[in-house]
Amino acid sequence: MKKWRYDSARDLDQAPIDRLRRFPREPDMLVYGLRSICALIIRGLLRIYNRFEVIGHDNLRTNRSLVIVANHCSHLDTLCILAALPLRRLHRAFPAAAADYFFQSVPRLWAAAVLVNALPFGRHSRTRKSLTICSELLANPGTILIIFPEGTRSTTGEINEFKSGIAALVAGTDVAVVPCLIEGSFRAWPKGKRLPLPRKVRLIVGTPRNYRQRSADKIEIGAIASELRDAVIELGKGGTRSPSAWLKRMRLRRLT
Amino acid sequence: MSPQIALHDAVFRAYFVVVLISLIAGGAILGFLRFVLKKDTGSMFRTYWSWIIMAGIGLIVVFLGRVPIIVGVTLLAVYAFKEFARASGLYRDWWMTGAVYAGIVTVGLASLVSHPRGEEPGTGWYGFFVAVPVFAIALILLIPILQNRARGELQRMSLAIVGFIYMGWMFGHLGFLANARNAYGFVCFIIFASALCDVAGFTFGKIFGHHPLRSEISPNKTWEGALGGFCVAMILPWLLRFSFPFFETRDLILTGLIVGIGGQLGDLSISVIKRDIGTKDMAATIPGHGGILDRIDSLIYAAPLFMHMAGYYHPLR
Repeated sequence: MKKWRYDSARDLDQAPIDRLRRFPREPDMLVYGLRSICALIIRGLLRIYNRFEVIGHDNLRTNRSLVIVANHCSHLDTLCILAALPLRRLHRAFPAAAADYFFQSVPRLWAAAVLVNALPFGRHSRTRKSLTICSELLANPGTILIIFPEGTRSTTGEINEFKSGIAALVAGTDVAVVPCLIEGSFRAWPKGKRLPLPRKVRLIVGTPRNYRQRSADKIEIGAIASELRDAVIELGKGGTRSPSAWLKRMRLRRLT
Repeated sequence: MSPQIALHDAVFRAYFVVVLISLIAGGAILGFLRFVLKKDTGSMFRTYWSWIIMAGIGLIVVFLGRVPIIVGVTLLAVYAFKEFARASGLYRDWWMTGAVYAGIVTVGLASLVSHPRGEEPGTGWYGFFVAVPVFAIALILLIPILQNRARGELQRMSLAIVGFIYMGWMFGHLGFLANARNAYGFVCFIIFASALCDVAGFTFGKIFGHHPLRSEISPNKTWEGALGGFCVAMILPWLLRFSFPFFETRDLILTGLIVGIGGQLGDLSISVIKRDIGTKDMAATIPGHGGILDRIDSLIYAAPLFMHMAGYYHPLR
């Protein structure tokens, strides 16, 4: 009889906490189940408590790899983007989270690794290594990478300058980049507040674009980063859309 | 079983003292070795610290009563199977692992609910509890058929069935013991005795060990250690006779054999699995012990044997 081949998890000799810190993680079905259930609960809560709505939902309905780029002023941002994704793609969606903030203390680590499926991103050190991990992930079809290129939560609600790491990641590749604007999350849960307030939050999803023809040199990267920032800001300039106006337009589109 | 009863139960109070004394004695011996004899105790203090925490959790759970014991045993079984699945690679198959988790939860439910027709509540549904493997294995065998897959399925089915029967159902007997009339005595004794037998085996092996017990399976175990553990396990039922005053000599001897031989066989059978997979420990969950599965391995073997032996001579209810 031939010997069976056992395909063990590669992190058997590590303590549970260290297993959460490493990436890629090797979760089993319990983690997936827990994450799916929590995602459903979070979706429901966002819809009810923050009257969460998504505009441009169709731009996310694809099976290709995506990089989602958004403004960042609240922990709600990540949850909102995850809530807008189809549930079956949840486990292949990786929000890049600051390794120095989310991957140190145990409760945050658990939430980041189990509930959100975050990718530890080195902001101050090992940035290049983190970017390599990102591009390796994107090589697999169906990966969704969520990146907040401002690098931290904005304390004023304004959109800060984008860091160039994201541009280096997508320049010269075929991967689709989706700019997104999150409105209202600053009022709902600004940095430093303990709990979110019941304020309206809206996610506007832009059309995908790619930077296949751009080279990855320094000037181009800076240009791509500011183009992306402009694209995100542009999404907010569709006039101050009240939800009813938006609904009307949708109904009109459906009629014509 | 409830906190109020536990507070006034002589057996539970006695075990509280016994566990406390053994932990203090163990710490004193370890301290004596380390600070007086200046022996190298290596990572033994870490192991000892983990023992203290485990004993504390165990005592609290038993104190809280029947439902927490059954829920706790079920959670341990789930976690033990999770470790087994991660080590054997079965965890990549969501449906198989899901079926085994469902089976383990069913074992817990069967110990929790009482027979739907008659019988007083809080007694467990023995008939269903014993029959759970039938349904669980039927479910496991159904999965490849539903998925229309055959390649490599025998390995997955076998791993799932071993995982369910061994870590789910056999270990689940420990939870079912909480339904017995003499629950405190049975549950406390079997946990304490198999833990002490493990420690005794380890200690005797360290001091006198020369002849390897099963060199191909577990190179660190010796005949001397196994014999030491066996002797301790044979004496324990007499020392702790207050936990089952109605036991006759025959029952006490059988109890000693089950803990002394069964416990060590359980240890070795997990070692066989680990050896074949090629890993040293199943996981690194408990510092100084390895995985949950490495800790409960002797209980998995001894608890069901003990329950059926005790139930045969003295009906559990």
